[in-house]
Amino acid sequence: MIERRSRLARMIAIELPILAVVLFAIAPYAWMVLTSIRPDADLSTFPLSYVPSQVTLEHYATLLQQTSFLQNLGNSLVIAAGAVVVGLLTSVPAAYAFSRFRFRGRQMLMTQFLVINMFPVVLLIIPLFVLMRNFHLLDSYFGIIIGHSTFAIPFAVWMLTSYMNGIPREVDEAAMMDGATRLQTIRLVILPLLMPGIVTTAIYIFVTSWNEYLFAMMLSGDHVRTVTVALQLFIGEFTVQWGLLTAGGTLVAIPVTILFLIVQRRLVGGLTAGAVKA
Amino acid sequence: MTQTRRQLLPFYFLAPALLVELAIIFYPVLQTTWMSLFDFVLFRPNSVPFLGFGNFARAFADPVFWLSLGNSAIWIVGVVALQFLLGLGTALLLNQSFWWRGMARALVVIPWALPSVIIGLMWTWMYDYNLGVINDLLLRLHLIAEPIAWLARPDTTLPSIMLALIWQGFPFFAVTILAGLQTVPAEQIEAAEIDGANAWQRLISVVLPSIAEVLATVLLLRTIWVANSLDVILVMTGGGPGYASYTLPLYAFLKAYSGMEYGYGAALSLILTVLLLAVVYFYVRRVSRVEGTA
Amino acid sequence: MERRTFVKLTGAAALAGALARPAAAQQQTTITWWYHFDNPQASPADLVSQFEAKNPSIKIDAQNIPWGGGTDYYTRLFAALVAGNGPDTALVKLSNQARLLELQALAPLDDMIAGWNGKSDIADSIWTLNKASDGKQYYLPAQYVVIYLYYRADLFKAAGVEPPKTFDEFRSVAKAVTKGGVFGFGMRGGAGGYDNWGPFVLGGGANFSKGGMVSDAALKANRDYVGFFTTDKIVPPSAPTDGFQQIIANFKAGRSAMAIHHVGSSVDMDKALGDKVSAVPVPRGADGKGWTLYGDESNAIFSAAKDKAAAFKWITYLSGEGNAELVKLSGQLSVTTSGAKQDTLHPARFVQASTDSLPIAGVLPDSSKTADFVSTVWPTNMQQALLGQITPDQMMQAIDKQFNG
Repeated sequence: MIERRSRLARMIAIELPILAVVLFAIAPYAWMVLTSIRPDADLSTFPLSYVPSQVTLEHYATLLQQTSFLQNLGNSLVIAAGAVVVGLLTSVPAAYAFSRFRFRGRQMLMTQFLVINMFPVVLLIIPLFVLMRNFHLLDSYFGIIIGHSTFAIPFAVWMLTSYMNGIPREVDEAAMMDGATRLQTIRLVILPLLMPGIVTTAIYIFVTSWNEYLFAMMLSGDHVRTVTVALQLFIGEFTVQWGLLTAGGTLVAIPVTILFLIVQRRLVGGLTAGAVKA
Repeated sequence: MTQTRRQLLPFYFLAPALLVELAIIFYPVLQTTWMSLFDFVLFRPNSVPFLGFGNFARAFADPVFWLSLGNSAIWIVGVVALQFLLGLGTALLLNQSFWWRGMARALVVIPWALPSVIIGLMWTWMYDYNLGVINDLLLRLHLIAEPIAWLARPDTTLPSIMLALIWQGFPFFAVTILAGLQTVPAEQIEAAEIDGANAWQRLISVVLPSIAEVLATVLLLRTIWVANSLDVILVMTGGGPGYASYTLPLYAFLKAYSGMEYGYGAALSLILTVLLLAVVYFYVRRVSRVEGTA
Repeated sequence: MERRTFVKLTGAAALAGALARPAAAQQQTTITWWYHFDNPQASPADLVSQFEAKNPSIKIDAQNIPWGGGTDYYTRLFAALVAGNGPDTALVKLSNQARLLELQALAPLDDMIAGWNGKSDIADSIWTLNKASDGKQYYLPAQYVVIYLYYRADLFKAAGVEPPKTFDEFRSVAKAVTKGGVFGFGMRGGAGGYDNWGPFVLGGGANFSKGGMVSDAALKANRDYVGFFTTDKIVPPSAPTDGFQQIIANFKAGRSAMAIHHVGSSVDMDKALGDKVSAVPVPRGADGKGWTLYGDESNAIFSAAKDKAAAFKWITYLSGEGNAELVKLSGQLSVTTSGAKQDTLHPARFVQASTDSLPIAGVLPDSSKTADFVSTVWPTNMQQALLGQITPDQMMQAIDKQFNG
């Protein structure tokens, strides 16, 4: 009896609110999915119809067969993954430095990372374009990866630093007292404890790169086109291809969601009791 | 290890990040800052008179600048606060265990996973006067008597766009705070439970303080991001009606890209940067003060 | 700061860019062409291969650049031209001609056109429209649309009205049809809406020369136009920010009875509405004077292009033999008389409305201020006037100030 009551109470206190939040999160997306499986004619019926006049997969067929969408998805994946790799390889050591050392210029350096990001990308885009051109990085995977990492790094450094600050110094000291070198400490002790933070930062970099439009638009050509640019192409001067746009929009959210589904388990974990000597 | 080598050690760790930054973005930032001192019009690259602080003076005398600044203030405070609160609540909920937790966590991420152009277009359509879902549902529920032109009225347009942004950004808070919650020491929570604290008290006295730094950092980063965001506004109303949804970065963007007045656009962006810098400065000072006393 | 210095400022990487290309002894040239089609599935591959078959020494690198409401396309174009990395040829519009000229980015085509035997296939009026203010021809016309008036034949029949010919008729017809949530006119107050405003205000006596926006006739025409929203209420409340999307969707859904656009949307309209939709030229003044927008698009050769003769061959192909094929891909109308005869894409009544509108079709001024007028000055002032934040007269004064200081 008590169990049932507390289960109901639990459901009301937790599961109902979370259901509300999830519904809020997916409602617009669901509307888009609905639009992608109805014929275009449905879009201009008044009053609004919630039930499709017919369910059709023609938009998906056109999208996958007649456009380069799949290829663009692939490009975006490569670029986002690349940005994560470059981003983490540069940010994790930097966060370690900021978290574990006290040195002159530390505050200034941390702040300057942020200052650079405070500048709106839109204003930087033309000088960046010229720079990339001089480096011969236009229309190349590497160019966009580097570009995306550059914008992700400052935020990633700050986030990782704060997660790392959450791991007490005593853990390091305990390990080094036990005879581990600094690098071993990082590899065997810090990184595992930092995993939730690393996963979060990786997701952040991935999503930021995945959704990025301006950089990709300016720096990519026909060879390396990301999915955000591909979607924009469906919005023309005097037509908007809603069917293709919504089908594409539906598909574009899926890789990130699946990725998150896979890694969200790694978000659990943290300090285990007894890691620190009393 | 020698003393100097020890002192240089942090810089070895910092080197990769600094190198990437120096190579790619440092120059463009300097260039753009430099440009703000000139009357640089993109299609007149051979005639670039030096203005000194002329562009800045022009900004301060520009009523649209002040309007945009005011809108930006409302925008930043409203969006960040609501994203934060919604994200915090979501993170706390997602930290509990229930059988479909994994699914919920993945679904909540969806708004964040969509490109701005899709978000802008979908929300614009949802707000449509005749064919939008929002008006339709409100009418069916008899909450309004006739449709509202959400994006065409100066009083509703900015809040409407803010809602779209809150929707887009709260998953970021949810995810980052959720990760932070994992580091809350279990012993402290148990100790508080034993002491008789209920869930709310545990939240306030144990959980929140231990993730305080993560919260503060995430708030700071998000504030900077939201302050600079203009994609969604651009797609949804282009700043209209009139100047009702003009924010400072949008104004700078329009000046630089449709007016092609790069110098003035750069100056406007710099002003925003300096204002944000003030916020960051206070944050860094406070954090280092806290660390100093720890 | 010179342009050269600006580019050089991009640092040590100038080393890489400074490497000279080895002199090529081959005869093959590659011409880059930037384009944008509304339909990304529409690929110019066939056009390219047909051209390359006839011109074996020329290869065409056609690149599809995102339009992004025009901003993205032109940002990329200008950035590339400034960086010295621009294409050889590109589709361009008149609203940017003045700026491109100031950038000294365009190559004059007069000499090459003089020797082109396809030039007589393009009407003189179209050539004149595309001439630059310095009298030279930089643009080679490729395609066009003309703004006309769509109307719902079914709603008109139900209300017992005929398509309007004059401004007054327009107003009374719209009033007759406005009832029960349906509005007479789906006004476009958002970006690009100056093509709705132009026919009424420019057609009502306003012009862009000094004082031309603040003459009595001009002010009255604009007051009447704003009045459609504020007093006549023949326009939906969402008009101030309605863009192309909204006016077309509402027209298709039958929530508005008239909408102003052009042949580019006609295929889609016909598919959605069939006989319920038709088009006529925009209304004119009682004196028969009127104005509508000539929606131009041309190809230009940039001054930095290395092989201008080859580039010219490509663009004259696009405006000559290949024009019929080009407009099939882009959905616009052919500039050549022969190409126009081959139009099977657009339903005839819409092509008719377009050609009937040509006598009053005009373009915006050839000034570097025009692009800004289109993207910021007109929308902000129009929206504020519609909402009553400024008076219609203040709006006209602002436009006059924009162009005439």
